[in-house]
Amino acid sequence: MTRQNSLTERTVSRRWVLGGLSATAMLAAGCSATSSSTSASSTTSGAASASSSARNAAAVEAATATTSAAATTSAKTVTQLAKAFYRSLDSDQRSTVLNDYSLSNAERWSNLPQGLLTGGMGGGPGGGSSDSSAGRLGLSLGDLSTAQLRRFQRLMKAATGTRTGLGWDEITMHLDADDYLSENGGGDTYGRENFYVALLGTPSTSGTWELQFGGHHLAVANTYVDGELVGATPSFRGIEPNGRFTWDGETMKVLKVKERALTAMLASLTSAQKSKAELSDVYSDLVLGPGNDWQFPTTHEGLKVGTLSAAQKKKVLAAIAGYVDDIADADAALIMKRYRKEIDKTYIAWSGTTSLTQVNDYVRIDGPSVWIEFSMQNGIVLSGAHPHSVWRDRVTDYGGTQS
Amino acid sequence: MVRRAARACAGLVVALVATAVLVLTSATSASAHVVPTSTIELAVTDSDVVATVEIPLSDLESATGLDLGDETQADVDANADAIEEYLLEHFQPTTDDGEEWTVSGGDLTVVSAGTSTTTGIYAALETTFTLTPPADTDAEEAEQSFDLGFDAIVDKVATHTIIVTVESDSTDDDFSGAYEVGTIKRDTVTNTIEELHVDLSSGTSASAFTDMVQLGMQHIQEGVDHQLFLLTLLLPAPLLALRRARAPGREAGRRWAGRVDGRTALRRIGATTLAFTLGHSITLALGAYGLPVHESWVEAAIALSILVAAVHAVRPLFPGREALVAGSFGLVHGLAFSEVLRSLDLTGLHLVLALLGFNLGIELMQLVVVAAVLPALVMLSRLERVYAVVRLAAASLTGVAACGWLLARVGYANPVSDVADWLGEWSLPVLVVLWAGALAALVVDVRAGRRSAGSDSGSGSAPASASADVEEPAGV
Repeated sequence: MTRQNSLTERTVSRRWVLGGLSATAMLAAGCSATSSSTSASSTTSGAASASSSARNAAAVEAATATTSAAATTSAKTVTQLAKAFYRSLDSDQRSTVLNDYSLSNAERWSNLPQGLLTGGMGGGPGGGSSDSSAGRLGLSLGDLSTAQLRRFQRLMKAATGTRTGLGWDEITMHLDADDYLSENGGGDTYGRENFYVALLGTPSTSGTWELQFGGHHLAVANTYVDGELVGATPSFRGIEPNGRFTWDGETMKVLKVKERALTAMLASLTSAQKSKAELSDVYSDLVLGPGNDWQFPTTHEGLKVGTLSAAQKKKVLAAIAGYVDDIADADAALIMKRYRKEIDKTYIAWSGTTSLTQVNDYVRIDGPSVWIEFSMQNGIVLSGAHPHSVWRDRVTDYGGTQS
Repeated sequence: MVRRAARACAGLVVALVATAVLVLTSATSASAHVVPTSTIELAVTDSDVVATVEIPLSDLESATGLDLGDETQADVDANADAIEEYLLEHFQPTTDDGEEWTVSGGDLTVVSAGTSTTTGIYAALETTFTLTPPADTDAEEAEQSFDLGFDAIVDKVATHTIIVTVESDSTDDDFSGAYEVGTIKRDTVTNTIEELHVDLSSGTSASAFTDMVQLGMQHIQEGVDHQLFLLTLLLPAPLLALRRARAPGREAGRRWAGRVDGRTALRRIGATTLAFTLGHSITLALGAYGLPVHESWVEAAIALSILVAAVHAVRPLFPGREALVAGSFGLVHGLAFSEVLRSLDLTGLHLVLALLGFNLGIELMQLVVVAAVLPALVMLSRLERVYAVVRLAAASLTGVAACGWLLARVGYANPVSDVADWLGEWSLPVLVVLWAGALAALVVDVRAGRRSAGSDSGSGSAPASASADVEEPAGV
């Protein structure tokens, strides 16, 4: 027994080897499903293979076959600015902002503020995926330094449109509105520090990645594949305060452009067309809100746009542009081209009143590809009705990723 | 040694408590809706089902076209007949054979509902309906499975959701708390209402607890790989690990030789089994509560664990540390167990109960397997040469099976793995042969013992002497 000590030592080393072996195996098994790897290359390769198998490749390819030099340049700029934003982060922030590209991660958006998603309140209104209860991925704007915020803004500006009242301009008003809500009864649950940015997959001109940004009443979801924007939806826009409000010396009405285009579209209809477009059911909410992914109705309801006059069709296209122009101009032009081609096979429908001011007022634009819904609901923090709206695409939602 | 064991135990207890706390606090409640929803709470007795229905008044107005003014009790009372008629028209439960139940309505009360942060506070109608199965059926049996037949509100308000729960069930002795049966809403693809079928028998109530125990037992019974890992790891339990051959001229290195006494063998078996249990319990809970698991990695790691155990049974790799290895690899096996629970999509109390039941089932079956095999092995080990052959044969077979599985699980399908999957079919005959051998060993050994007692008492199959290079600390 005199040599027992040295022998014990030897077994100790083996113990570590074996314990380590099994522990490593478990860690690898347990964590490879998440973003344990911060190495950029492995994330990308996993993402690319996952998406290529899951995407309804043919349909998506057909929908996005025509590209333009401007759109390619735009996507390249967004990718570079996303990389620059990523590089400006410290290592903890990087691992928070960069996540795997997967449908389950992409589905983690909601109209609810983050605090109501993670504060034991459960999932979004759709209540669909279990992941929605986990809240948004990514970094809070409140955790970014001034320099990092500047890079984030540059990225968002490039990824969103330049039209006044839409795109980046609308988002800046939206963030002001949520700050206003925070100050006027909403409390800490609201305000721009409750908005999150995430990169799903490593930004690159090859492979798939998504720029995800959202918070209360807002979801931006730009999916890039091999250096082109292949999906800009699901895109959610809602707002409370809905009316004019003043913040930081500026008076604004956030969704004014969208609302005006939609009411103008409905107002252009003759009474016969109006009654043809009216839905018999009541809509108290969006049909395809968060959690209701790839659940598009098989039947188009309402009035066929093909039966309308050229002037009326223009109004429908303008209403569609109210959502499409939320993304970079070159990309928006391509998407509008596709929607314009399909406009005759597109339907419009409404319920409630056509003023879009009362609770249960509802309007829908439903085409072979485009899906836009706008629903007026009861105020939560403030009194009075406020809108929820979503733009989806029957083909390129989530860049076509269906599983 | 005792102190170290105590420290290890304390560590495990802390880990388990921490796991439990983590798991319980991360459980989230049912989903919140921004837009007000209706609810139906079912109270089941052996004669009828009482349904307490709550409907937001604004949605009731939308669906009926009634104008309830300021949404007060007086407004509802003034329209009571119309409301009752509408609701009864849209509430028609039927048996699985399509026979209609009788439905009688109760008082209409206006209540305040909702939460200020999500839906806002709103006025709602609350009323009860008594649902009685047809007279010619066994009421209690009919209640176990029926169509609720409620399509009020959702027939008109396309975006409305009705959440249906069972609040109490006196026909279920194991009822442990309210649970959700399902929701009634439109299918957005077809724009039709998804009918709700109530199935109390397969519900997530606590009668499911015994089901979960059974499921756990079944999982081990059918999971040849889990059994093989533990059994192979326990194969050398009755043996003594020596650092080098005692006989000069033979190849040096570790090997199994001699026997430890019965108590030591028993302690090792107990410690290893317990460590495996603790290991897989921790990750079973973590996995069930959403720790992300990469299934194919886990399956491959399990195959690897079996291979390691098989090699150890041939030559001691970690003598005296079987418990630690069992615990570590137990963590991996637990992740695989959690896959079963995850697929059931349980939440809250049901998940806790299912977790306990499932784990209990696993432990019970594991205990059965160990109790069925290990005594025979300990007895058989009295015949050292025979046991060496059995041990090497079993370890080799297991090793080959493990290699087959490992290859298959990293993506190289092979016939070895296919054959290995059938090993479970042979467990009973193998067990019979094992016990026959064990009893034979007992008889032979007792006779040999009687004979050697008469002659030289210093050598033979007695435990190895203390002067040998014993590999492991004496009192593990």
